[in-house]
Formats: sequence, C-alpha cells, structure tokens
Amino acid sequence: MSEAAVVGLLVATVQFATLVYLAGLGELIAERSGVLNLGVEGMMAMGAVSGFMMALATDRPWIGFAFAALVGMAVAGIHALVSVVMGAGQVVSGLAITIGGLGFAAFIGQDAVRERADAVFTDLGIAGLADIRWVGPILFNQPPVVYLAGLLGIAAWFVLNRTRLGLALRAVGESASTTDSVGHSVTLLRSGAVLIGGAFAGAAGAFLSLYMAAGWTEGLIAGRGWIAVALVIFGAWRPGRLAAGSLLFGFTLALQPRVQTFDLSIFGLEVNTISPALLGILPFLLTVVVLIAISFRARHRPSPAPAALTLPYRREER
Amino acid sequence: MTDPGAAPEPTHAPLHTVSRGRARWHRGLVRPVLQRRADVVPAAQAVAFVIGIVVALIAGALLLLAAGNDPAQVYGRMVDSSLGGINSISRTLLRATPLALAGLAVAVAGSMGLWNIGAEGQMMAGASVAAGFAMSAGDLPGPLLIVMMLIAGAVGGVILMVGPALARAYLGVSEIITTLMLVEVSIRVVEWLETGPWKDPESQGFALIEPLPDQASLPGLFGRAHIGALFAVALLVAFWLAVSRTAWGYELRMAGSSPATARYAGISLQRKVLAALLLSGGLAGLAGAIELTGTATRLDPGLSNGYGFAGIIVAALALMRPSGVAAVAFVFGAVQVGGQSIQTLGVTSSIATILQAMILIGALVAAVLLNYRVRWVRPVGHPAEESAPPAGPAPGGAPPSGSSSNPEASGV
Repeated sequence: MSEAAVVGLLVATVQFATLVYLAGLGELIAERSGVLNLGVEGMMAMGAVSGFMMALATDRPWIGFAFAALVGMAVAGIHALVSVVMGAGQVVSGLAITIGGLGFAAFIGQDAVRERADAVFTDLGIAGLADIRWVGPILFNQPPVVYLAGLLGIAAWFVLNRTRLGLALRAVGESASTTDSVGHSVTLLRSGAVLIGGAFAGAAGAFLSLYMAAGWTEGLIAGRGWIAVALVIFGAWRPGRLAAGSLLFGFTLALQPRVQTFDLSIFGLEVNTISPALLGILPFLLTVVVLIAISFRARHRPSPAPAALTLPYRREER
Repeated sequence: MTDPGAAPEPTHAPLHTVSRGRARWHRGLVRPVLQRRADVVPAAQAVAFVIGIVVALIAGALLLLAAGNDPAQVYGRMVDSSLGGINSISRTLLRATPLALAGLAVAVAGSMGLWNIGAEGQMMAGASVAAGFAMSAGDLPGPLLIVMMLIAGAVGGVILMVGPALARAYLGVSEIITTLMLVEVSIRVVEWLETGPWKDPESQGFALIEPLPDQASLPGLFGRAHIGALFAVALLVAFWLAVSRTAWGYELRMAGSSPATARYAGISLQRKVLAALLLSGGLAGLAGAIELTGTATRLDPGLSNGYGFAGIIVAALALMRPSGVAAVAFVFGAVQVGGQSIQTLGVTSSIATILQAMILIGALVAAVLLNYRVRWVRPVGHPAEESAPPAGPAPGGAPPSGSSSNPEASGV
C-alpha cells in the first residue's frame, strides 16, 4: 500500500469526520435540550441544495455556506413549531422533516443537478505546515470548513458546560418542569437549540455540495444524516466524545470507496476482499452496541442520555 | 433515552413569581399557551387529516406555480391517474398495500406507546429471507412456495426485531434508535448480497440478485393490484378485533397508557413489550415479502422504497387505529401514483413526497389546534403589571393591545 493511498485515506477521513461532526454537533445541541430531531437527513439535503445554488448565483462559497445554515435553521423551525411550541410528537415531526426535506430539495434542485460549481471551497494550505510529510496534507491542507467545525465544537463545549445558558439548556433536557419553575422559558430554550441544530445540519449539507461532492444530485446525502443521529448516541451526548466518534465513523466512510483497491493483508485477511457495503454497517452496529452498553452501565451510574429526551412539555399538563 | 410510556416527570408547584437568575432575557414576552379544550371536537383526527390534505394541496399549488407549472393541470393528472377508473384505482391499491401493512406494523407497536421506526428495515429483512427461501426451494409448486415465502418474510422481520425488542424489554433501551439503526444495516446487507453471495451469475457486470422463480408471484386481483391488498384488509380487521375486542388487546393498551396500573393488575410489561415489538417486526417483514412476491421479479436494495418510513406517518395520522390506517394508506397510495404520473408533464415526482410530508405537518398542527385553545399569556412580573395586584398563577390577556384587567384570556 503506497504512502499516497494512506495519506489520501486519512485526508478523506478528516473530511468525512467534519461532515458528520457538524451535523452531529447540531443534533447533540438539540438533544441536550430534550428534543430528538430525526430530520437531520432532510435538513442536510435542504442545506446542500440551497447552499450550492446560492454559491452558483453569487460565485462565493461562503455566501452559499451561510445561506445553507439559514435554510437549515428555517427547516428546523418547522420541527420547533410542531414539536416544541405545539407539543406534538417529536419522532413523527422529525421524520416528516426528513421525508419532506428530501422531496423539497429534489424539487428545487432539478435544474442544479449535474451543474458544476466553480465557487467551491479550496484547500487552505497553511504556509509552512502544509508541506510537512504525512501531517501536512492531513491536518494543514484542508478546506476552511474543517477548521471551522473544530472551532464550533470547542464553542459548543464551552457554552454547554461553562455558561449559564448552557446550564439552562442541559437542565431543560433533563427536566423541563424544573427549568420552567426557575423562570427559564422551555419553549425558547428548546426552539433555540433545535434552530441551531438545523443551522449546523444545513451547513454540513453545504460542505457536502460545496466541497466534498462539489455538486448536487438527488441522493447526495445518502444516509449521512442518519450517521449523525447515530454519532450523537455513540458520543454519549458530549462534544468531545462526538469528535472522537466522528473520526471513527469518518474513517469507515472514507474507507468504503477505497477498501477494494488496498493491497494489504491484516492477520491473513486480504483487506481488498472486505465488502464496502458491510463496512458501511459498522457505525450503526457500533451505535447499537454503545446504546446497550450505556444501559448496562446505567444500573450503577446515571445515563448520559438527557432524561427528558422526546418528552414534550406543556406547562398546563404536568 | 427515555421511553414514551415512562412515568411522568416529577411535578413542581408553579413559581412564576421568582425573579432571580438570568432568565430575564425572555421576560415580558406575551406568549401563547395551549390549553386543552373541554369541548371535544367530534372526529377531530379525521378533520385534522382533511385539513392537512387541504394545506398540503395549497402549499403544493404555490410550489407548482413558482416552478411555472399549472397546478390545476398537475392535480387533474394526479387525480385522474390514481382514482379515475378501475385501472387507476388498481395502481393506487398496489401502492396502498405496502403502506397499509407497514402502517399496521407501526400501529401494533404504537398501540402500546412504542415506536417501531425500523419498519423499512424489517421489510428489507423479510423480503431478503423470503428471497433466500425461494432461491433454495425454487422448485416447489407456486401456492406452497408463496405461502412459505410469506412465512419466511414474517420470520425475517421478527429476526431483525429480536435485538431491539429484548433490549427494550429487559434493559430499557429505546426502541426508537435501535430499530432506526437496523434500517441502514439491513439495506446495506442487501447491497452486499447483491454484489457478492447472491449475485446473479448471468447478470455479468451488473450487481443484480438472482431472479425469483416464475411461480413465486402473488395472484392478481384486478388491474395492477394483487391479492396482497386483501391480506392487508384481513390483517387490519384482525388487528382491530385483537386490540379492541380481546383481553390481550386491552392489556396491551393498558400497558401502554398506564404501566403502573398494568403492573398492579399483574400484567407482565416485559412480555407485552416483547409481544408488541416482535409482532410489529413480523408484520413489517410480511409486508416486505408481500411486496417482493407481489411487485418484484427479484430482491433489490430499493424494494422497500420508503414504504416503511411512510408507514410511520400513516400510523401516526391514523392515531394507530386500523380503520384510519386503511384510509390514510389509500390517500398516500393515490398521492404516490399521482406523483409518478405527472412526470410525463415534466413535473418531478418529488412533489408527491412533499405533499405527503405537508399532509402530516398540516394534520399535526391542525390536531393540536382542534384539541387545544391558544391563549396569550403575559408572565407575572412584567414591568407593566408590576404595580398591579397579582392575578393568579397564569394571568392572561388578549394579545398585547387587549385589556390587561381581564384575567381570563380569549381563545383563538
């Protein structure tokens, strides 16, 4: 296996990790406030298509990227309205966002299909560092969104764990009535978390259409939104572990299209005989295993899952 | 993860007058609150469903206009292709069948307050086991082969549900996530079968699974519809009888609505969870096998075609009731057939997907508004009211311009 192949795999790992990390971080914020949003897949599709079209129109990837975040936020607003303000079922509302978002994205993106964007993100190539062997291309010659995702992760960790707003947000995910009784607005906190989650998902979609695929097609998201949902559980609802999990999931995603070209044998197993489809199962199976492990551990210490997740709150009906 | 049927959160006395903390950023906002109506709107869910359809049609018309299409022409074609004539109705039934079966599968778990989000995956698992059976026993006579394939399908669905059901019953692991994760797993397993173990040797470069034997196709009903539609109706009736007319169904509903009561009455919650989830998985697997034998010539990763996810929406709109599942599945089947037909007008079939999602969103909102009144409430401690005497725990007023001396809010 050549050095270029290994470096290529790791470069792609970081990019796929960024993709699922961005979307997963948004879902994490929403879930920590007690709202499960199964609409990630749909919000990513909407972000991908709108960001791509905006970048086509303005010739600037950043404008497309920001617009995608706004569109993701708007789509998430439907989920916030239906499941938080109205208190209807989160599961059903989120699925409607996914189904409707995929359909809507396909509808508005009809003309953008196969269009090649000139305005895509380019690799940053940090001076002096990008030329280092191995480390350079993997860490210091990535598109700017990769570094932005890292910064957003640190910011999310800080806000969640070191500010009063974060405390209120986590509290509302554990017990809405308690948080309400100390004077915080459950509706505002949860809606805000869902909206931010939507912005992150929309941005992740734009990273796909404005860099990784550099284009829009109907099946572009291809289950990456579900991986983000899985990642939140795999990362035990914590931004740090989410980052570690995203590298692992990103590795399996990067490996899938490459595995059959690798001429490598590990413990007698020819790597190139591994099926890419079976490799794609790993993130989902690992998540189920982690979920079961968490529940075993929960007998001795508190579960990391927000206690009020999926429970709607209406003050008048406690 | 928390289960939907868990004990309610601990209640606390309302402390609206507390003014400490950093919560001032939302102070003073007049906010809407939802208050359950004392007067029940008759057939509220049916009304909500119709409102949802109307909302979706209006939104869809605006979209079509924006895209430069004539909504009347597009909708006319959709109705004509799905409902205008016996052949059109047979096409609608063809799609309504898997929707109703998947909806039924979700409703079985849902009548106990459990969410089977993985019907899509169980359909694939059922279809896979059925196809595997047909490959190994392809020389059986047609009727026997089909019956065995349907049984194999149910077994396949149950197999995929065993893990989530045991984890939910004995460890309290949320079935929402586990069933969802297994959807992606089962679709990828079929992709793997397609490229490797079950690859059709005659497909040359293409990744295709061996075709089913000729006799493994369900008899037709009329037009394009097959007798799977009759199975769906029979199973919906059986489900209605089981849930509303037997002690088992009563216990199931009780275990869902009040676990504490059920435990006190000596009902094993764990067994009920296992039964509801495994039955749900089996029905979804059966739906997959019916879809395979009814419409397909071979197994492929796109066989479940979103029916499993749409089935969740069907069941939710039907409030888990069998008559509702049949009605909603028929409407969704018609929308999907209509979506296919308008492609000849140069309109993308994705409009059908948008309509289905919009029907659900519209109906969800309409159901809340039918069952609740919206009141506009100003929190106590609002600067304008600070001098006024406190007026009860949640004083309200009409929207900002309204009289603040009236403590009873006006409904909207």
